[in-house]
Amino acid sequence: MKRLRKMRTILGASLCLLLVVASGQNPAFAHKAKHTPEQLKAFEQAFLEQVKVGDLLFHGDGDTQKRLDVTLSNTGMACAMCHPFASDTHPYTFPKFQEQVSKFATLRDMINWCIEKAAEGEKIEDDSEAMKALETYIYWSTRGSKLEPGTH
Amino acid sequence: MDRVLRQPGEHPDRTMELTRRMFLHKSLLAGAAAGVASAGWFPWLNTLDLAFGAEAFKFVWVSDSHLYPKTLNTRFVDKVTRAMKEVQAMSPPADFLIYGGDLAQLGDPVELDLGAEILKEVTIKKVFIPGEHDWYLDMGMKWEKLFGNSSWTFDHKGVRFIGLDTVSRGPDYWTAKKMTPKERMGHMATLDGSVAGSWAGVGRDQLLWLSTTLSNWPKNRPVVIFSHNPLYEYYPPWNFWVRDWREVHEVLKPFTNVTNIHGHTHQVLYNEIGKMRSIGMLATSWTWPYAPEGVPTLTKCKVRVDPGDPFDGVGWSKLTVSAAEKLENDYVMWRKDILGETPWDSGCADNANQILSPRLADREWPYYGAYK
Repeated sequence: MKRLRKMRTILGASLCLLLVVASGQNPAFAHKAKHTPEQLKAFEQAFLEQVKVGDLLFHGDGDTQKRLDVTLSNTGMACAMCHPFASDTHPYTFPKFQEQVSKFATLRDMINWCIEKAAEGEKIEDDSEAMKALETYIYWSTRGSKLEPGTH
Repeated sequence: MDRVLRQPGEHPDRTMELTRRMFLHKSLLAGAAAGVASAGWFPWLNTLDLAFGAEAFKFVWVSDSHLYPKTLNTRFVDKVTRAMKEVQAMSPPADFLIYGGDLAQLGDPVELDLGAEILKEVTIKKVFIPGEHDWYLDMGMKWEKLFGNSSWTFDHKGVRFIGLDTVSRGPDYWTAKKMTPKERMGHMATLDGSVAGSWAGVGRDQLLWLSTTLSNWPKNRPVVIFSHNPLYEYYPPWNFWVRDWREVHEVLKPFTNVTNIHGHTHQVLYNEIGKMRSIGMLATSWTWPYAPEGVPTLTKCKVRVDPGDPFDGVGWSKLTVSAAEKLENDYVMWRKDILGETPWDSGCADNANQILSPRLADREWPYYGAYK
């Protein structure tokens, strides 16, 4: 009886594996592979590249805005003029109810609010490279702060 | 650091009182409905013993207007213009106006000329000290042509006033890097930039001048020093401080009644070190958040600011030497209560959970160049 149950389990697992292979899906074994030091370095490099792009955007660099086809300000103002080192952006408190937009907001909502209202720039797409870079810089510059979503 | 220097028994003259009074500000703008639409609250006065037998008089402080050319941006123009109209409408008029630096944003002659033109609205005596934004495009040439020497002194009704230049003695960080004047100015205009290093300073020559200037002044008579940067250590990563501030204090140590009035920080600040007290003034342009560390413990922080309202958190200061020989500082902020009543309303409460990192972009040559 015990032997029969064991055989059924093996048969079931084999069948599942057969179905996954037959459907052409990757069985997601990649996560099981250990990261090499080279991979970790590459991941960090990819992150820091975004930090640098976000830093330049945040500090009003014209060339970077042109390359990414965004206009973050029409007044000569830059994010860093009100938020040196990304201070007072408080990314660790999002999502939260944000008074200025009168809704439950994400950090991306607030970035766009600042672009449109405070800097008089043009709103950027949520999934744009510029948004991801700005978000990356803000998170990087305030890393170490305690995560407290929902607070002010 | 100021805790180290604030030794027991060393403090400014205790005749100074910090009071919290509430009174309605009647708009100084001609034609405005008094005390209604444009009214604000001035809830805080710094009251301090200033003069011996001084006559009553007023003076005003305006600074940090950061003007861009009008073609780019008029939001800062509007605010300093409003300040000038209000100063000009004062009755009786103030004895003089001190403009505390950073009239321009990028030292552009167009910006400096624009500022000089707006300031013409005020016809009382005007004195000027420079800010770094005024200076580093042409190393002060245009500014000095318009406004004269960057440091000076005069006596007025029993008080010795001194204008100190804290911006022009920055170490040469640009020559070796072959930076253009615009690049040099751009980096000075970035509060959180690190390329320029610790640029704010008084310098040996000016320290000597300060010492000589005060040598004939009685030690117990009031001295008011105007400086763009605060004369104490406050958050070096943003260059709020003056790097040789300890030497400045050494020169001022024998004097018992010294007040430093400074701009640059765009914040309500109050500090005491030794016998000297410092008051930080509002900008007319925009407000900066309080630094994550180093806000003087004696500061009663201003309220959190609404960044969508260009008139919030900014303004100028009206200082009155009363017949009772007190000097009262009114922060003329154009919106809301000026001080946070509860932690969640205070700009300092925003500091509580901030751990901030200096920029990466400044450290890598190919990436430096923001504000081109």
